[in-house]
Amino acid sequence: MKLTESQIQELYAFTRQHFVEHYDLQTELVDHLANDIEAMWEVQPKLSFEDAKNKAFKKFGIFGFMDAIDQKAKAMNKRYMRYFWTELKKWFELPQLLTTIALFLVFYFTFSTSYPAVFALLFYGMIMVWCVYKSIQLNRQFRRRKEISNKKWMLEEMIFKQVGGTMFIFLSQVFNVYRITDELLSNTYLLIGFSLLFTALVLVNYISFEVIPNKAEELLNDTYPEFSM
Amino acid sequence: MSNSKLYKGSLTTIILKLLNENDKMYGYEITQRVKELTKGELKITEGALYPALHKLEAEGLLDVEVAKVDNRLRKYYKLTESGTKETVNKLEELAEYIKTMQALVNPKLA
Repeated sequence: MKLTESQIQELYAFTRQHFVEHYDLQTELVDHLANDIEAMWEVQPKLSFEDAKNKAFKKFGIFGFMDAIDQKAKAMNKRYMRYFWTELKKWFELPQLLTTIALFLVFYFTFSTSYPAVFALLFYGMIMVWCVYKSIQLNRQFRRRKEISNKKWMLEEMIFKQVGGTMFIFLSQVFNVYRITDELLSNTYLLIGFSLLFTALVLVNYISFEVIPNKAEELLNDTYPEFSM
Repeated sequence: MSNSKLYKGSLTTIILKLLNENDKMYGYEITQRVKELTKGELKITEGALYPALHKLEAEGLLDVEVAKVDNRLRKYYKLTESGTKETVNKLEELAEYIKTMQALVNPKLA
């Protein structure tokens, strides 16, 4: 006996009840539960769907799907970071390298003027405002995507939401810019250091808020063969 | 096997070995195959299998394929090139380990 379409949908709902939010993992678990239920029916054809489902779920142990969720999140995070590094590396290769150098020089020369502290604060403010604007925009985009497809993919959520959050933590750490004084930046090493830091800040945020979200379709198709199925 | 701790460290080796022999497999199939091969002596638990599979996928040792089977989607795992290499390493490690245990448990045989 095979499961019906509505029973499959019930299994999807069941995984959602057990905190599996993302469609990618739901699909895998639904297939597993379905296989197990069908195997049980071969031996005990009279077993009800409910009972079989609960029996199959029990085999996952007391933590249920939790370990699978955790490990999946870790795996996806790794994948995201791999995409991120691939993009970052491009900024240190020609032709993008020229932009990186130009960026560094802009910071270097403005910080070499008589008002480095003011500039530092100004740049910082600009980056911050842009990041806030982008993350609101991406969040909205993510919500719309979910409304259309009614599915949420783990990597998709990372691209549009989660990593934006990490960037803010990173940014908030750099908030110490207000402590940058003009004297501090008169030291050449510190001057170079801060220029590099700001260049990195721009690149990291540009990649995570602009480059990767723009490539979302491509990356999702690459990660999930079932994405466009 | 009553003591599941004994084979916990070998779970990835078992998965890799099975995929090496079977081109591609899905999660449920792996649990069943192990049960079948060991005549029920060894049961891979669902709670351990999927985390292990996802970890291997993240490490680039496994690749995935999805196909529609009956009225649902099925996710298949298969070895990547580095996965195939890693399988050889893992099997050698395990063989070495078994030999060492043999020497400890039954010195006459070693």
